[in-house]
Amino acid sequence: MDDNSSARFKKRLLKAGHLIALFLAMLFICMPGIWIVLSSLRPTVEIMAKPPVWIPQELSFDAYVSMFSGVGKGGIPVLEYFRNSLIISVTSTVIAIAIGMAGGYAFARYRFRGKSGMFLGLMLTRTVPGIALSLPLFFVYARLGIIDTHFGLILAYVALNIPFTIWLIDGFFRQVPKDLAEAAQIDGCTRWQAFWQVEFPLAGPGIASAGIFAFLTSWNEFALASQLTRSVNSKTLPVGLLDYTAEFTIDWRGMCALAVVMIVPALTLTFIVQKHLVGGLTSGAVKG
Amino acid sequence: MKFPRPSAPTLLLLPAIVVLAAVVIVPLLLSFYSSFTPFRLTKPDTFFVFVGFRNYLTILSDWNFWVAFGRTVLLLTVALNLEMLLGLGLALLVERASRGQRVLRTLMMFPMMFSPILVGFQFKFMFNDNIGLVNNALQALGLTDTAIPWLIEGHLAFIAILTAEIWSSTSVFAILILAGLLAMPREPIEAARVDGCTPWQTFRYVVWPFVMPFAYIAMTIRSLDVARAYDIVKIMTDGGPAGRTELLWTLVARTAYSDARMGLANAMAYFSILLSILFTVYFFRKLAAARSQIGAEW
Repeated sequence: MDDNSSARFKKRLLKAGHLIALFLAMLFICMPGIWIVLSSLRPTVEIMAKPPVWIPQELSFDAYVSMFSGVGKGGIPVLEYFRNSLIISVTSTVIAIAIGMAGGYAFARYRFRGKSGMFLGLMLTRTVPGIALSLPLFFVYARLGIIDTHFGLILAYVALNIPFTIWLIDGFFRQVPKDLAEAAQIDGCTRWQAFWQVEFPLAGPGIASAGIFAFLTSWNEFALASQLTRSVNSKTLPVGLLDYTAEFTIDWRGMCALAVVMIVPALTLTFIVQKHLVGGLTSGAVKG
Repeated sequence: MKFPRPSAPTLLLLPAIVVLAAVVIVPLLLSFYSSFTPFRLTKPDTFFVFVGFRNYLTILSDWNFWVAFGRTVLLLTVALNLEMLLGLGLALLVERASRGQRVLRTLMMFPMMFSPILVGFQFKFMFNDNIGLVNNALQALGLTDTAIPWLIEGHLAFIAILTAEIWSSTSVFAILILAGLLAMPREPIEAARVDGCTPWQTFRYVVWPFVMPFAYIAMTIRSLDVARAYDIVKIMTDGGPAGRTELLWTLVARTAYSDARMGLANAMAYFSILLSILFTVYFFRKLAAARSQIGAEW
């Protein structure tokens, strides 16, 4: 009898411990984000208050209003940055996906000499740190006169995204059974038709999430953008964030508001792709 | 004269290779060349002066460079190992949860959506010695009276950066290891239990070998963009105070753009590239080994 109840007690204790650990972990993960959102809604006086004000006394959207009302009122041209970010990210994503689809298909469906080496080689081009790459790119771009243009940044981001896009898309095509396309070809499709009508629709969701991933990489990139952009012509949001810092002061509230503007699209998109993303990265980990 | 018709995979891979050659490989060759010149952005003629290994000798005999190099390696080693452990722990916690799996998984991915520069900024805000959340909380709880100079004192700043780095990347490990745990067949675990394994033995000899490839995938992905730490450090301390949190990447940026010494910076950049490649190749090989161990085709 005693054994029984002590075992039950132990089990209950374990369960409680598990719940508490889980709660603490999640709190630690979410805290910084919540803090940013909260700070963007509070007046600067409250953020700077000493002793700290824990419970927000008044919430307002002033920071957002002044941010979007343009230069002069809020300080920084957020709308221009937003537009630049959007144009650059979308264009580079579309191109990277087109190229990555061709490459990923080649890795998933063909056997050729030096395949594994080639794959590693592609990945290695991605390891070059952005800041190291920015030095020669800065020099070349300066010669070509494409510094501070959309084109320059788009080109750089396409190259940045290709290796990872190929890895992901390779994974998604591997999940589509080879037999399906072969059956379609036996039924009279050309390989081209079989690809578009059978394999592409099946791998479609995966490819879409690879696209979103590429979009996020471009959307968030800072090291390259900070050197290759100069003005409102091509500055992106991550670079624009620095506009809130002056020599010795930082407009915390404005920065928090811009941070929220940057996160919201990223949040939405990541939420949509989370399932496929993991599937694409790990396919082949176990099943080849 | 007739060219042999190129094979299908060659054709398919051609665009990728062309773009990467144009944007990555050719500029890198150029920078490799310029690392042998005293090139300064302000003096274009210096591009054609060849000085042999002088830049490399300058770097190798520069104490500051070695300190930054050592600090970068230290940061990466500590960060990657801790992220791995914490990610594993987090994945196990979430896998055991009986309810709310979907919500938990989504919450777990939260940090992945933050741009590294945002991570840097947000932790700079939280670790601010005067108005930051961390100090406020410590003072409110009565743990300390003084404002701890998180980002101003060298060692504390390193810890703050490490925290930011770990916060932002643990979820990569957690999510991939969780995928491994979920994909795992139940029978071997049950068999192990029937054979009398303790929970620890079951984990060590049954679960872990199965999850390992997933952990290595996470490692490979992480090592592909370890240089993301540049963004975080650039915002949080910018290598300061007085170079006490200088990493290889902030040092490269400072030498190149503030001092305009491109040749020297390129020589440094080659060291950082070497470092990244070393990390990636190492984990890629581990990944291949772990895959073949559980009988996967590559």
